[in-house]
Amino acid sequence: MMKHLLSILVLSILLVAPLRADQEGIIVRTAPVHDKANYGSRRVGQIKAGTRVSITNRQGGWEEIFSEQEAIIGWVRSYQVRAAESAPVIQDQSASDSRGFLAGLASFSRKASSFFKSDDRSTSSGTATIGVRGLSEEEIKTAQADFVEFEKMKQYASSRKRAAGFSRQGGLTAIKVPHISAKN
Amino acid sequence: MRILLQITLMIALVSGPILTTPSFALSFDDLKKDLKEAKKKLKKSADKGKEQLDKARGKLTEEEEIEVGGNLVSGLLGAAPLVDDARLQQYVNDVGFWVASQSKRKHLPWSFAVIDSDGINAFAAPGGYVVITLGLYNLLENEAQLAAVLAHEIAHVVRKHHLKALQKTMQREFWTDLGVKAVGDEQKREKLQQLINSGVQLYATGLDRKHEYDADLRGVVLAARSGYDPYALLDVLTTIDSINPQSSELTVMMKTHPPTAGRLDQLSRKMDGKLDSYASGQLNAGRFRQVASKP
Repeated sequence: MMKHLLSILVLSILLVAPLRADQEGIIVRTAPVHDKANYGSRRVGQIKAGTRVSITNRQGGWEEIFSEQEAIIGWVRSYQVRAAESAPVIQDQSASDSRGFLAGLASFSRKASSFFKSDDRSTSSGTATIGVRGLSEEEIKTAQADFVEFEKMKQYASSRKRAAGFSRQGGLTAIKVPHISAKN
Repeated sequence: MRILLQITLMIALVSGPILTTPSFALSFDDLKKDLKEAKKKLKKSADKGKEQLDKARGKLTEEEEIEVGGNLVSGLLGAAPLVDDARLQQYVNDVGFWVASQSKRKHLPWSFAVIDSDGINAFAAPGGYVVITLGLYNLLENEAQLAAVLAHEIAHVVRKHHLKALQKTMQREFWTDLGVKAVGDEQKREKLQQLINSGVQLYATGLDRKHEYDADLRGVVLAARSGYDPYALLDVLTTIDSINPQSSELTVMMKTHPPTAGRLDQLSRKMDGKLDSYASGQLNAGRFRQVASKP
């Protein structure tokens, strides 16, 4: 009963909240702009670091941006664009929906407690004083080893045979990729 | 006991040639020569032993490494237990095992887990153990991002970063007897326990910062080798960077890792242009969502 009430409450909150709000962003690295959210797609141009853009969509590590000034619209990698400081950071609602009810609830409560970086006001009020459930520094240092849980963990281990099926199913192929030197 | 053995050995060496010479007519000079040679032999083997000891300093046998790691991860599980979701645990193991299979140490008993903590973090332990908190897992958007986080941790294990940190904290003498195959040695047990105790502290103080950057870089290469989009780690770091660094969920991670913005900057600079041809790797967002939205 309680659970139902809670889910109705959260659902209504999620529905009331705008599903997609355009967000202001700044290009932090000069980036190629693609017409779709993948590298294989056509390049429609390039956008310079420092350009202010509107972020209109988000999809698996890509963000769709629009710049009136540069007259460009397309997709860039999400690390190439940062939310502009003045704009509130809104997490993609559709992404949290897809991660299920609990995840949605978690991200909502985080937003409520100024979990994400935001304007100055909420940053200063967001200084956390409450501890985190499990794995605070003190808990890490003082916890008693739990060997029962450890045995349980090992039971979930995969195998070569399983991994072969899993990779095939996910379209994953092992490829040769040379190391990148740390010296540059 | 050791001295007794040495004396016996010396007598055997000295008397050896006498007994084997049929005439027993051995000159004093010959005896001296034999003695000298025996001494030389002894010194040579002692030197060799010392050399092996130096080589073994800070190193453990793989068995010892797995034992220490198992104890360390049990400690983490004592602080935060497994998330009670078999499907999720299996999935994380599937992704982790596949990525680890592309590493140099694929033969380790790789084992992965999601632990029930809101804290945003992931940990690795020597021997092939990796845990990720539910707090971090919930921030991820697709399988490539999960693979990226696990690959970073796998890189710590492959490169033995924890052992390198322990090597720094323990004195030189400490490592005698370790890294050598000898079972049932009580003194060795005690030492392994000491290593475990110091290892736990590492999770609160963090590894060498340069090893974090190293794991970032090795991790993205490992993810690319596994067929994933290597840029996914940058996406995860971008998400973490968007979180208020003062939120309690990030306390331990911020204390034990270099600033996220710095990691983003270093990694994207080093990756720039080098991994573009692999960026069409899989994201597998659909499979990731299916697991997350369990009934």
